[in-house]
Amino acid sequence: MATGTQSFPKQAGQPDWIDRLEQFKTPFFYAILIAWAIICLAPLYFTLVFSLKPVENAYTAPIWWPTPFTLANYDTVLRSFDLFPRWLMNSTIVAVVTTALRVLFCSMAGYAFARIEFPFKNFLFNALLLSMMMPGVVTLIPKFLIIGPGILRGGLEIGSLTIPTGFNMIDKLGGVILPHVADAFGVFMMTQFYKSFPKELEEAATIDGTGRLGTFFRIVLPVSQTQLITLALLTFQGEWNRFMEPLLILRSPENFTLPLGLQWFRGEYYTLYSIVLAGSLFNTLPILVLFFLFQRYFIQSIATTGSKEA
Amino acid sequence: MATRLNRAKWNEAAMGYLFTLPWLFIFFTFIVFSIGYAFYLSFTKYNLLSPPEVWGLEGYRRVLSDELFMTKALPNTFKYTLIVVPLQTFISLVLAFAMDQKLRLRRVFRTIFYLPSVTSSVVISLIFVWLFAPQGVINQIFRLSVNWLDNVNTAFYVIMGMNIFTTSGTLMLIFLSGLQDIPTSLYEAAEIDGADKMQSFLYVTIPMLRPVIFFVVTVGVIGCFQVFDQIFVMTAGGPLDSTTTLTYLIYKWAFRDTTIKMGQAAAAAVILSLIILGVTLLQRRVIEGSGSSTA
Amino acid sequence: MNRVFAFLSVLLIAAFALSACAPQAQPTPEKIVETVVVRETQVVEVPKEVQVEKTVEVEKEQTVVRLSGWASSPSETALLESLLYRFSVENPDILVKYEPITGDYKQALLTSIAAGTEPDVYYMDIFWWQELAKNDVLQPLDDLMASSGVKKEDFIPALIDAFTYEGVVYGIPKDFNTLGLFYNKDMFDAAGLEYPTDDWTWDELTIAAEALSDPANNVFGFGVPADPGRFPVFVFQNGGNIMNADFTDTELDSEAAIGAAQFYTDLRAFQIGALPSDLGEGWQGTLFGKGQLAMVYEGGWLIPYLREQFPNTKYGVVMPPAGPGGEGNLIFTVAWGISKNSKNPEAAWRVVDFLTNEASQKTVLESGFALPSRTALKDSDYLKNNPNSAAIFNGSFNGARPFFWGAVGSDVNDQMGKAIERIFKEGQAVADSMKQAAEAVRKALADQ
Repeated sequence: MATGTQSFPKQAGQPDWIDRLEQFKTPFFYAILIAWAIICLAPLYFTLVFSLKPVENAYTAPIWWPTPFTLANYDTVLRSFDLFPRWLMNSTIVAVVTTALRVLFCSMAGYAFARIEFPFKNFLFNALLLSMMMPGVVTLIPKFLIIGPGILRGGLEIGSLTIPTGFNMIDKLGGVILPHVADAFGVFMMTQFYKSFPKELEEAATIDGTGRLGTFFRIVLPVSQTQLITLALLTFQGEWNRFMEPLLILRSPENFTLPLGLQWFRGEYYTLYSIVLAGSLFNTLPILVLFFLFQRYFIQSIATTGSKEA
Repeated sequence: MATRLNRAKWNEAAMGYLFTLPWLFIFFTFIVFSIGYAFYLSFTKYNLLSPPEVWGLEGYRRVLSDELFMTKALPNTFKYTLIVVPLQTFISLVLAFAMDQKLRLRRVFRTIFYLPSVTSSVVISLIFVWLFAPQGVINQIFRLSVNWLDNVNTAFYVIMGMNIFTTSGTLMLIFLSGLQDIPTSLYEAAEIDGADKMQSFLYVTIPMLRPVIFFVVTVGVIGCFQVFDQIFVMTAGGPLDSTTTLTYLIYKWAFRDTTIKMGQAAAAAVILSLIILGVTLLQRRVIEGSGSSTA
Repeated sequence: MNRVFAFLSVLLIAAFALSACAPQAQPTPEKIVETVVVRETQVVEVPKEVQVEKTVEVEKEQTVVRLSGWASSPSETALLESLLYRFSVENPDILVKYEPITGDYKQALLTSIAAGTEPDVYYMDIFWWQELAKNDVLQPLDDLMASSGVKKEDFIPALIDAFTYEGVVYGIPKDFNTLGLFYNKDMFDAAGLEYPTDDWTWDELTIAAEALSDPANNVFGFGVPADPGRFPVFVFQNGGNIMNADFTDTELDSEAAIGAAQFYTDLRAFQIGALPSDLGEGWQGTLFGKGQLAMVYEGGWLIPYLREQFPNTKYGVVMPPAGPGGEGNLIFTVAWGISKNSKNPEAAWRVVDFLTNEASQKTVLESGFALPSRTALKDSDYLKNNPNSAAIFNGSFNGARPFFWGAVGSDVNDQMGKAIERIFKEGQAVADSMKQAAEAVRKALADQ
């Protein structure tokens, strides 16, 4: 960039107003930050307040503090409404399994792209980069068909053998997990990481006679911890909150994930909004806890996504 | 010797495929094949019950002559993108500058700003449905009696506002890391060259941020063009289709309507994808183009 | 390049083959103990829970029939389960597996048909079942009916005809519903009004709605949802129709339909009627229960809902008031269909036949959910003792037409709802709105 070395037109002293603005700068920025902080906190605050009020009071003043106070909604959510723990469990299964597999598969593929020579490697990597530009909506229908009923009604018949053309995973958590166990961005991120990773460690291992697989699992994976956690957090947050795919694939309330369950609950028991609010906080809580525990990684993961194009 | 070398090469290749196998499987099944099949479906009449029946461009003709698509979904989607993207980019940029001033309580602010982003789109939508209900908190605070989400003049703006609210935190963090990546030496050089604050902002900060701006705008555009969860939860496309967007319409055609129109929905999905690709490329050209003219 | 694709297709086929090998639920001879909760319903409309433990000896010769329907309420599911239990006692050679579907029934059914895993016997809504017949996934029933001496004439003609496609019967109507005018007795008493009767007309409806409305307190006389399942009644009562006789054109822009829309939307314009969303609810049944709407058009389904959710609301039901063009009503019905893929159509038929025979239909009637599709039950004692259900049953003989608008039915419904909504929310002129809807329907018809 040539900008840095460019000479600027000299001005006969700075205009007064800029100097005067300078002194208002700090309060001005504080005002902005505080205003936005209030906007960010208000919805969650009201949610918390009303989740602590009886269901009949879901629209009743006072709005600023929880009177009359009750924990009944949380009790419903955690104990008396038995679908809720199931949704929590389902969401956890989907998010944890997808995250674990994606981190593993993406780092494997990333390692291969960075270190191993194999035919069509560059072609595949370019295809991967290209696929990152494809909007997800285009594959919505085929994905649904492949996970569910298949692209041919009743399957493909070869002689007496019928091969289904779909995974028949409608209403199964596996159907939500499967298509997301690997993704282009994760592979790209890990490839970039392993390219910048010093080769010496692996070379030492190869001399020791450890094979590729052993090297990868025993040496490479453990030292890529930071990058793996970053990818894991990104994935977990996305999968925990995913809605459209579960909406198409999951059918029975007992198989719903939490967001789907909450939306269903709202439609089924629309007079019980306070319970929806209590449930909403449960959906937010785990990510919040993760955020506080791994704040550094979260910030890094965002910085990573930001520099992806740059 | 030659054979051993070949064998080593062969082993290496096998290893390469072994390592990439899981990803390759997902990639070819759910991306490559799916995209190909989506194109095929877009040229067919398909309702799930009978096999797809190729009918050429008829599906595209129907999409492009469909009133809901042309007069509601398409303009709504553009309107949504054109309002949300600039606003969320601007707000997050301003927030990032404010955060970059090394003010006190920076960490606290950062955490608070990120809160809406960790909340799932469905949950935040459910909360907003309740906040904007006829007897909801918003009406109570401002002493109004607007039926926000059932009014053709307000519903879409509530959804837009919510989206800006949820994404600005993340985008702010992206900008912030972009700002912090700008080497201080550049500012020092500008100062030596006699630049004032305003000039160093215009001639150093903005050009250096250009790639980040491009990224934020691109991500914003792609996200906005495909907005679905919020629409589904908050209004289901209503009132009077005033919040029906392209992705929602595709979903409706493929999975909701009494007469399933999967082929037509696939055609609409292809059209939407081409629009997104086109806009992304155009944008890259505009942002990079303006970059070369000022530098 | 080719090698990669060959490699991947092998991979794909292997994956599918693996999923094919996954153990399918095969009925194996074994002894299973099932616990079924059966709610026996009594004439007084109060479900009572009875725990029945049955031991089913599953033998090799036993034919399995899978059966699906939506589960609109636990008590309705229990009713079906009790009928199926009775069937299993009478027919030990057939094992019926009931697989109720919660959530989006139609989508789930279509997906299973596309996968070739649909149940043998399933519910079909009058509104979309023709889509199934057209795609040839249903078993024709005429021969099966003849085999057990069931005649078309045994059923209310409007119902069985609705499930006949190109002269072939594909579904046996299991029950039906019409709309009744539900009125809140306490609100009528408070306003000092006489209760509605079967002889009411639009004028009396308007006068009562006005007297019962109190807009300042969010109380209105009549519910006017932009619902294609309510509005057509007014078109019929105004002497019009939604579609022409052979469903090739719409009559939404006829004078009768425009007049009906004018009357319907005026109710809200004069603040004596309200949309459910005006009052912050999705369904007018809730508002009726809460006492915010004094009168609503709803079907028999509102009876158990009120019993469970609003037991203190005192109400009565009469037939919808007549309009200038006479009586009008809608018939909602669901039929049992048999899959063309069924390996045992005869066994499936025996299940359907049992579920729609006179004894079963009597049980359904006495539960209060829905009305029997067999003409023989017209004079049952139950209807004589339950005026609310009788009003809904008799509705079917007074200007009622099936809730079915031909092949583009969903477009017709969409457009009707939107036409009313446009008048309500965008202030469009009534005639323009109806004409716009009619044009859109014609376009859909042309695009078929």
